[in-house]
Amino acid sequence: MDGYAGKMAYADLSAGTVTIKPTPPELKKLYIGGRGFGIRLLTDMVDPKIEPLSEKNVLVYAAGPLTGTGIPLGSRYEVSTVSPLTGTAMSANSGGVFGWKMKKAGFDAIVITGKSKKPVYLLLDNGKAELRDAAHLWGKTTGQTTDALEEELKDKSVRVSCIGPAGEKLVLFACIINERTRAAGRGGVGAVMGSKNLKAIAARGDLPLKVADEAQLALVKERVKKKIEENGIDKALHNFGTAVLVNIINENYVLPTRNFQTAHFPDAENVSGETMAKTILKRPKGCYACIVQCGRVCEFDDEKGEGPEYEPIWAFGPDCGINDLKMVARANNICNEYGLDAISAPATIACLMEMAEKGYIKHPIRFGDAKGMLKLVEQIAKREEIGDELAEGSFRFATKYGHPELSMSSKKQELPAYDPRGIQGYGLATATSVRGGDHVYGYMISPEILGAPEKLDPFVTTGKAQWVKTFQDLTSAIDASGMCLFTSFALGPEDYADLLSATTGMKITAAELLKVGERIWNLQKLYNIKRGFGRKDDTLPARLLNEPLKEGAPAGQVWRREEMLDEYYTLRGWDREGTPTKEKQKELGLA
Amino acid sequence: MTDTRNHISVTVKSFATLREVMDAQISVDLPQGATIRSLFAELNGRYQGLGGLIFAGPDTLRDFVNILKNGRNVEFLGRLDTHLDDGDLIALFPPLAGG
Repeated sequence: MDGYAGKMAYADLSAGTVTIKPTPPELKKLYIGGRGFGIRLLTDMVDPKIEPLSEKNVLVYAAGPLTGTGIPLGSRYEVSTVSPLTGTAMSANSGGVFGWKMKKAGFDAIVITGKSKKPVYLLLDNGKAELRDAAHLWGKTTGQTTDALEEELKDKSVRVSCIGPAGEKLVLFACIINERTRAAGRGGVGAVMGSKNLKAIAARGDLPLKVADEAQLALVKERVKKKIEENGIDKALHNFGTAVLVNIINENYVLPTRNFQTAHFPDAENVSGETMAKTILKRPKGCYACIVQCGRVCEFDDEKGEGPEYEPIWAFGPDCGINDLKMVARANNICNEYGLDAISAPATIACLMEMAEKGYIKHPIRFGDAKGMLKLVEQIAKREEIGDELAEGSFRFATKYGHPELSMSSKKQELPAYDPRGIQGYGLATATSVRGGDHVYGYMISPEILGAPEKLDPFVTTGKAQWVKTFQDLTSAIDASGMCLFTSFALGPEDYADLLSATTGMKITAAELLKVGERIWNLQKLYNIKRGFGRKDDTLPARLLNEPLKEGAPAGQVWRREEMLDEYYTLRGWDREGTPTKEKQKELGLA
Repeated sequence: MTDTRNHISVTVKSFATLREVMDAQISVDLPQGATIRSLFAELNGRYQGLGGLIFAGPDTLRDFVNILKNGRNVEFLGRLDTHLDDGDLIALFPPLAGG
């Protein structure tokens, strides 16, 4: 099959060896790549009873067949592992150029097992792979690490995916950063990398990537390019980045503010994409083969960096009661340099702010204290003072001080930038997410707030279960393909199926694509069940179920779980506890 | 506030690329009984190019355009016939994405 590099590297860090094997055809057929590869390999290889930060955990890097083949927005790779933050089968997605380089270096996936005695990095180099000493890189930030490897390898074309000090210190929400600013952000994948003493993966090469039907692929590429350009989203994303969402979410009264105490931030305009474009934005930037370019290169005062994206803006901004865009951008840059998830870090700080204001903990931080917030970000990354406790995430922190209800998390992962009380279907999607609190495993904001592909009433629960299931399955398949999720605002399942068919020669239909997505979703679910998850975990913080919103159109509403959950389980072919039935497992080839 | 016996005043906010053709925030006086439709009749007179960004046809919004009245999408109120009251806040959004 084409579209694949054809090989996978298995790095055994305990033994200090790397073995290269062909990418199995059955894996391609049933799981496509990316998240599919990662979750299948992970769930096959890792005993559900292990501790995520033990050497028995596995870290899988995997690109998809559409990664790096010149398809617009085909740039993504996934990192899969058992999450130390949530305990779920986790995958985190990143863009940039690294995924393409990994394939040009000759590899569809990298499977990392064991633990090295000393810090090492893995070099992927034109079909070869070797472990190298990384003692000189340990302690360095992600930018310093990337600079040092470019210098050491005397090659500016090398692309580096690495951890920063937060990953080394095993911060439970440490991320992995490639090209200095692109993040496989969520779930603590960086902590797992750190636990293995693996500092970085560097990829270089120029091996050919073949596609099955070049003429057909050219036609489909032109079609999807036209759809992306014509639906209008690209212009807003190009001009304002993902931060263009700040105002529309706020105007809908669903922008969580001060740790979800309210859902409207009066100063939202100050931290909006529109304000960024007029002030600190230097230029837009895209990932490999991107025609949208939603990335932001920002410069001001003595500060240079990329981002902040919508989620960190919300989390460091309204969720912490801060209206200063420059301070938000500084905090985001610290996260990139130290390798911290820029959702969980600020959301954990917001939790501390509420606890401190309510007197549940003695600490000087208060909502709106931007300088104090910056200090806390560094303390978390270095595990210094209270940062050592915050590095365990908001749920463990709040529980330690007797107030777990103030952690705005699901399955111990901090929730993203939308209040489910005013967006019922989104609430179901994030509560049932198989990786924990999340927005990109089924982005219901699109139909419920943005009106794409059609406008759904966000206050209504009827019919949402089917939408959530479809979005979750489709997203799983997109994450397997290597495409950017943002294409889903313009493209439908048939477009991805046509791209995959022309690229790989597999002749996949839209229905088969969704079936692959459903298979991945159920595999993650089954693994989570083995780790003790069940119906009780498919929920959201009590505040969101019991404390009605007070302002704007959604005033008086709570998130109504029980109106949707049973229907969702039934549609999925799961029993009342949320366990896939034997029939469903058999249908998906998982029994 | 205006004389609510004959007229109402609404605040209109625009966002993202719509600010290329209209002000970010304005106050608009309209007759009693005004709707979203009559609001746009007024706005289209003031701002050249706005209608083309909002409407695909005389009674049809462009795909993914969102109009909120006091935080509620007019799609779930009365669409273009949504009634306006004095003091209402109308927010206009072009097609947006992100996450």
